[in-house]
Amino acid sequence: MKRFKLVAVLAASVVCSAAQAEDSVTIGVHASFSGAGAAFAEGMLAATDFAAEDVNKDGGLEVGGKRYKILIKQYDDRYRAADAVTAMDRLMIQDGIHFVVGPMGSAAAVATKDQTTSGKVITMTLAFTPRALGADAPFAYRPVITTGEFSDPQVALLAKNTSAKQVVSLLPNDETGQQIGVANFNSYAKAGAKLQVEYFERERVDFVPILTRILMKADGLELGGNSPTTAGLILKQARELGYRGPVFVTGGDVAAEMLKVAGKDAAEGVYVHLPIDIGLPDTAAYVTRFKAKYGQNMNGFSPFFYAGLQMLFTAMKKAGTVDDTTKIATTLDGLSDVPTAMGKAGWTGQQKYGIKHQIDLPFYVGQIKDGVVTKVATCDVNACR
Amino acid sequence: MSMDFILAQTVVNGLMVGMIYVLMAIGFTMVFGIMRIVNFAHGEFYMIGAFLFAILYGSNGMPFAVSVLLAIGATALLGLLMERVVFRRFRGNELNGMIASVGVALILQNSALLLWGSSARTVPPVVSGVLSVGGIVFPWSRLVVIIGAIVAVVSLNLLIGHTRIGRAMRAVAQDSEIAQVQGIRVDVIFPAAFVLGVSLAAFAGVLMAPVLSVSPFIGLAPTLKAFVIVVIGGLGSVPGAVVGGLLIGLIESFAGTFVSASLSEILQFLVVIGVVLLRPQGLLGRKEREA
Repeated sequence: MKRFKLVAVLAASVVCSAAQAEDSVTIGVHASFSGAGAAFAEGMLAATDFAAEDVNKDGGLEVGGKRYKILIKQYDDRYRAADAVTAMDRLMIQDGIHFVVGPMGSAAAVATKDQTTSGKVITMTLAFTPRALGADAPFAYRPVITTGEFSDPQVALLAKNTSAKQVVSLLPNDETGQQIGVANFNSYAKAGAKLQVEYFERERVDFVPILTRILMKADGLELGGNSPTTAGLILKQARELGYRGPVFVTGGDVAAEMLKVAGKDAAEGVYVHLPIDIGLPDTAAYVTRFKAKYGQNMNGFSPFFYAGLQMLFTAMKKAGTVDDTTKIATTLDGLSDVPTAMGKAGWTGQQKYGIKHQIDLPFYVGQIKDGVVTKVATCDVNACR
Repeated sequence: MSMDFILAQTVVNGLMVGMIYVLMAIGFTMVFGIMRIVNFAHGEFYMIGAFLFAILYGSNGMPFAVSVLLAIGATALLGLLMERVVFRRFRGNELNGMIASVGVALILQNSALLLWGSSARTVPPVVSGVLSVGGIVFPWSRLVVIIGAIVAVVSLNLLIGHTRIGRAMRAVAQDSEIAQVQGIRVDVIFPAAFVLGVSLAAFAGVLMAPVLSVSPFIGLAPTLKAFVIVVIGGLGSVPGAVVGGLLIGLIESFAGTFVSASLSEILQFLVVIGVVLLRPQGLLGRKEREA
């Protein structure tokens, strides 16, 4: 009798665990949790965590009459392409994951593209490189707005608002920096200004030697593409050298950190890219939620991933499957005006990337005045108004 | 900007960076000279010194002098702990000691990441404004770093050259066994040298924190630079560390200003390769006696 009970308990537990395994969907978070990009990675993980929390508190994601609990599995690629490939292998083969928030860096996205395409894994990348998206990567999506989208309209606006014609830019000499450099160079040329780009090692914190040289003949300084702290440091050191010309930051979410690092006086008049509008109630709620849970200021990319996951979950529901990623991707491609934390979102990018996998959301330009960022324009890929 | 301004600014920046490298390299070379350990965790003590100063002075608004002393003192205590727990076992064992130091570096860096987060912190400037000399301006924040580093190097020179413990350190560096026979307590000198080296790294971190930024990842670059400098100056040679540090600082500044940042890195390593090929013991190092 005892043996029968034991067998019954074991059988029940096997059935239960099998049922649990069937009724869950695991989202992989593939990012650089150690190293200089850790703040971005934490923002991506937080977005996944919030999205999972929201679904799970309602009993799970309802797809095809069943409810699926959302689980999260994270892997660190240490901002290295080789580690990114290993981490993706582990996510795909060891854990059997079909949905990934990441890869984070451009080098990682390019290095893992073939793997995720052949494995039909849906990815939501932060990579700014245009090579992250394309017809050859039908499962790769980008829920953040990149230089490719915001550079042209913003630079056109700034060229109109200032007299800068010889602009200099400092960027890290990695895949991300190189891509942003090329995009910005072209945007400034279109706007009738010349951009000189100087590259540096990402770990660099002392920019005075470079600034001393490049500011000699410059009448504008472009800091877009740098991390918030780096942008603040460059600004602070440029002002210490006596540079008083206009400063543009046409990328990233840098305003708060830049003010902290460089100070109110150094940051006065700086034009900044604003990825989000905290005037939108849902976006403001996300920012508050992040601060309440993590006790620190949110990385500006975080709510984009939350919006991307909202779209992914919508696609899963509509497709009626959590397994057939081809069907889910096809459904996801067709989504438009999906209500998200960032407003109504859809996909764009057919002309630029050959595939509509680039999120379509508005973005903004602000100007720092007396330590406060004021929104001066609302933009889309065509123009800032 | 005039050429005079650019030249003066380049020299000041080279001296600032060079003096920080000097502080880092002296600690690094002292630990090697006395304990025969290539300490790749050296830069992490720089990072911890900078972080503690950022927390005490920047976040908690403690007085500057108190923050400096507490930051260096706490880092020195951590160094003492590390010497007791890890490095003591690897004295004279260069290869294993080096591997252990890489492990300590990773532990310290990731502990800082867990404790203080990944975001870079900034520290309010200790001094502001500029010094104007003949129309050329120098930020006081950078001049303070140079002055602070010079004071530290001169004080260290006095300690090593004119005190009992300094003479004992030199004796142990020359031959620990003979020093022991002469009655010098090497068990005291080893941790003292390690703590002194760590304290110099922490002081360098404290000096740089208000000028640059503080994050768990700032220790790697100074460690690599310290390693390059002691190779140029001569492993175990304090004057060599001073010459090497200033040389690298000025190369970095001049190449970065007049050519490009990438070429500055290339030039530094070309100098290292040249020194290793032409004078393997370093500019001011002594040749190892052959058996």
